[in-house]
Amino acid sequence: MSTIDKIKTDKLTAEELTAKENSEDIKYLRMNKSERIQHFLLFTSFITLILTGFGLKFPEAFWVRWIVYIIGENAFEARGIVHRIASIVMIGASLYHLYYILFVPRGKQLVRDFLPRKQDLIDFKDSMLYLIGKTEVKPRLGRFSYIEKMEYWAVVWGTVIMGATGFILWFENTFLKIVGTEGMEISTAIHYYEAILASLAILVWHFYFIFVNPDVAPMSKAWSKGYLTREQMEHEHPLELEELDRAAAEEKAAANKEAEEKAAEESASMKKNEESKKPDDESQASAENKTSETSGNNNSGKNEENPDTEVPEDKK
Amino acid sequence: MKMNSYLKNIFVIFVPVLLVSGLLMFADSYSGFKKQSTDVCLSCHEDKDLSMDKGGKKISLFVNGEGYKKSVHNIAECEDCHENYNPDELPHSKTQSEVNCISCHKESKPVETNVHAKVKCYECHTKHDIKPAKEFAKEQTKSCLSCHKQKNIQHYSQSVHAKNNVTCESCHQGGHSVKKISKQEVASTCGKCHGDHQKDFKNSIHSQVLNKGNKDAPTCTDCHGSHKIIRGKISVESQACLDCHLDEKKFPGDGKGSAKFVQHYKTSIHAAVEKDGLLEAAGCVDCHGNHVIDSPDNPKASTNRARLMETCGKCHKETVANFRKSKHGQELAKGSKDAPTCTDCHGEHDIQSTLLSNDFSKINLTDKCLSCHKDGKIPHKNFKGEEELITGYQNSVHYTALKEGNFDAPTCYQCHGAHEMESAANPESKISKKNIANTCGQSGCHTSQLTDYNGSIHEVGVSKGNNDAPTCNNCHGNHGIISKNVDNKLQKSKDIVTLCSDCHGSVELVERNDLPTKITETFRESFHGLALRGGGKEAANCESCHGSHNVRPSTDSLSTINKKNLPETCGKCHPGATEVLFTSKIHLTNPEEDSPGVFWITRFYMIMIFGLIGFMLLHNILDLRRKLQHKKKMREAKKK
Repeated sequence: MSTIDKIKTDKLTAEELTAKENSEDIKYLRMNKSERIQHFLLFTSFITLILTGFGLKFPEAFWVRWIVYIIGENAFEARGIVHRIASIVMIGASLYHLYYILFVPRGKQLVRDFLPRKQDLIDFKDSMLYLIGKTEVKPRLGRFSYIEKMEYWAVVWGTVIMGATGFILWFENTFLKIVGTEGMEISTAIHYYEAILASLAILVWHFYFIFVNPDVAPMSKAWSKGYLTREQMEHEHPLELEELDRAAAEEKAAANKEAEEKAAEESASMKKNEESKKPDDESQASAENKTSETSGNNNSGKNEENPDTEVPEDKK
Repeated sequence: MKMNSYLKNIFVIFVPVLLVSGLLMFADSYSGFKKQSTDVCLSCHEDKDLSMDKGGKKISLFVNGEGYKKSVHNIAECEDCHENYNPDELPHSKTQSEVNCISCHKESKPVETNVHAKVKCYECHTKHDIKPAKEFAKEQTKSCLSCHKQKNIQHYSQSVHAKNNVTCESCHQGGHSVKKISKQEVASTCGKCHGDHQKDFKNSIHSQVLNKGNKDAPTCTDCHGSHKIIRGKISVESQACLDCHLDEKKFPGDGKGSAKFVQHYKTSIHAAVEKDGLLEAAGCVDCHGNHVIDSPDNPKASTNRARLMETCGKCHKETVANFRKSKHGQELAKGSKDAPTCTDCHGEHDIQSTLLSNDFSKINLTDKCLSCHKDGKIPHKNFKGEEELITGYQNSVHYTALKEGNFDAPTCYQCHGAHEMESAANPESKISKKNIANTCGQSGCHTSQLTDYNGSIHEVGVSKGNNDAPTCNNCHGNHGIISKNVDNKLQKSKDIVTLCSDCHGSVELVERNDLPTKITETFRESFHGLALRGGGKEAANCESCHGSHNVRPSTDSLSTINKKNLPETCGKCHPGATEVLFTSKIHLTNPEEDSPGVFWITRFYMIMIFGLIGFMLLHNILDLRRKLQHKKKMREAKKK
C-alpha cells in the first residue's frame, strides 16, 4: 500500500476520482500520530520559550506586563521555571526525534527525504524564476521541498544552539568556571540573537506556508489531522502525488493481475485525468522526467517501508 | 581747822558772788543769788540712793556730778534748767515742770512737731552728762537703736550701711528734723548715695507704676529691706520678687506676667539649682535686671527678645556664642521678628533641663522646630535645589524609632546642632557636604557606616570638594530618611539602580567627572539588570557587587570588585563560582574591545537576521503574488 489513505475511499473507483468534488475528499497522510505529537511538543514548548524568553529581555513590553499582572508578584521566578520546563520538553522531544529518525523506519525515511540534494538547488532556481515571472513553469516539488528542508534544518540547528547556550546559562555557576565571564557573555548573546532569528523564521517562513498561503488558508490542518487533501497535494507536492499515484497503480496492477483490463482502464483514466487537469503543464514533461529519476531513489525506499507505518494508520 | 572752815566760808560766799557778777556781765537773764548753787544741789543728788516715790514708782534722783562737770552744760547751774524749784522744800517743787531745752536750743524747735514730738530731749541726749553735738553725733545711731528696738531696725547693725558709717541720720535726717520716709521718697533718699541705681530704677516698670499711684509697686526697701540691707544678690532673693508676683490678686489671669505664669519659675531648673544652694542658679534679677526691670516689650529690657542672647549669655557663654554664629542668631541680630530666640525653644519661666523636661523631650522638640519650619513656611531646598518637605521627618525611620521609645534616635538638633545650627551652605555647619558624614556617623549613631564610607571613592570625592560626589543624604535623603527594610527608596533593589543611575547615568555628570560611560545601560541589559527589571527578587543590583558605603574603584585592593575580591563578591550569590574566570569586563561598555567574541557574534546574527529573514519575506511575497495570480487565472478560465 502507498500513503494513499483509503479509510473513506476504499470503494472509490478511478472514475470517481476524476470528479473534482471527490478529489478534495481524498486524504493523503502527511504526519502520522508520532510525528504530530512531536510537532505538538515542539511548537508548544517553542511558543512557551519565546514568551518566557522575550519576557525576560523586554520586561517593560506591554504583553509582558499583562502576563506579570495576571500571574502576580512571583511572575519573574515563575518565568524562569517555566522556561526551563519548556526547554526540557523541547529537548526531550528532540531526543525522541533523534531516536525516531535513527531507529524507526518511517523516521529513517523522513530524515532521508529531508536530506538536501542537488535537485533542491535546481528547484530553488526554477522556483525563483517562476516566482519572478521569468517562466510560467512551476517546478514540481516532492515530499519535502527546499522550503521545508530549510525549515527542518533550521529547527535542528536552532535547537542545538539554543540547547547548548541555554544549558550554559542555566548552570552558570558550573560553566562560569569553564567558559569564564566572556563565555557567559557570548552564550547570552548567541541565545538572544538565535531566539530572534528562530522566532522571525517561524513567523515569516513557517507561518506563511501554513496560514497565509492561499493553497491552505486559513490553516493547513496537517498538524492536527495529519492529512493533506488531494488538491493541496497537487499544489504543494505534485511530484510526490504523482509517485504515490503511480505506486498505487503499480501495486494495484500487481495485485490484480487477473483484472488486467481493469487496471489498464484505470491507468488510462488516470493519465486522462492528469492531462485534462493540467493542460498548460505539458511543457513540464521534460522536468518531470528528470525529477522522477532523482526522486526515484527516495520513493523506492519509502515505498518499501511505508506499509509498516501505514498499518496502524490505516486501521484508524 | 578753823582757818580751813573760814577759808571755806569765804569761798562759799565769794566765789559764787564773783561768778555771778561775772555772769551778769554776759547775760541779762542773770537771776542773782536767789538760785541755789550747783554744788549745793549735787551735795545731795550725788547720792546714788537718793530717790522719791511718785505714784507708787520709785524714781532715782541721782545725778552724776562728774558727768555733769564734763558736759557741755557745766557752766549752767541746775536752776537754769530746773526752774521754779525751791531747794528748801521737799520735794523741791509741787508742780514739777519739764525741763524746756528748746527755750535755749531754739534751733531744735522742729523736734516738737515731728515724729519725735513725744520723745523727751533727754531720751537721746541724756539728762546731765550731755555731750557736745559733734561727739553726740558719733553715737547717735546707738541712741536711736536704744529706743527703736524693732527687730527690723535692730538688724541695721549687721547691715552694709552700718559697716560703712551710713547712719540713721544719713537717711532720716538729723535727730531734730527726723521724719518718716514716704514710699515716694525712698528712691530719692537712697539715690542720694546710690545715684546710678536710682536712675535705673526711675526707668523701671516698678517706678512707673509707683508714680501712677499703685501702692503695691515696690521701691528700694521692698526688695532690699529697709534697715537690714546686705550687699549683693543675697539681699534681693527671688523670694522678694515672688512675694508680690505670685499673688494672684495682684497679677490675675494666666497670660504673660500673671502670677500663674511666674509660678512656673518655681519648677524651673534655675530655681531648682538655687534650692540646692548653688548660687550660679539664676534668680529673677539675673534675667530681668535689678533696678532697671522692665516689660519684655520694651526694647531696652534685658528680657526683650533681641537682648536675650546678651542676658542668657551672661551665664551660658559658650552656648550663646554658638547660637550667635548660627543662622538663627544671625537673623535675630539683624532684627528679624521670626528668628527664634532662647525662650522660643526653652520656654520662659519654666526653663527645664533638656534631660528632664517634657517640653524638651525629643519628640516635643520636633514639634517645636516644625512649628516654624512647617512645609513651605520657611523655604527649604535640598541639595539638588529642589523644594523639600521637612515634615518628611515625621515619616522617617528616625522619628518612628523615637516614637517607639528609642531615645537614641535623632531629632532635629542631633544633625543640625542645638544652638550652632547652620544652613548646609555654610562649610562650618554640621550638615555641610563635608561634615555630614561625620554628623551621621557621630558616636552612638552610624559609626560603622562611617568607617565603611571613609576612604570610599565617594568620600574621596567629597573631601576633595567635588560637589557631585555623594555623601549620606544624597542616597538616603534628608529628612524623610527611611529604613532600607521598610517602604522606601532603597528598599527595592530596582530603586538602588535608579538611585545610582541618577549620577552614573547622567551624561553631564559622567563627562564632568570622567566616570565610566554606559554603566547603567550595560547593567540594564545584563542578566542581573533584566532580572531586576522583570521583578526578580534575588537579582543583583549595583550594591550587590560594588557595596554600599564602601564603594571603591576596582584598582583599590579593598574594593569588592578588585580582582582579588571578586570570587568572594560573586560567591555571595553564586556559590561554588569562587574561581570564576574573569575573562572579560563585567560592564561591556565597548564590546569590540571588551569582548570581541560578543561583538562578532552580534555582527554575524545581524547579517543572518536581516539577510535570511529579508530573503524569506521577499520569497513569500513573491510566492503570494504568484499564487494569487494563478488563482485569478484559474477563476477566469473556469468562467470561460
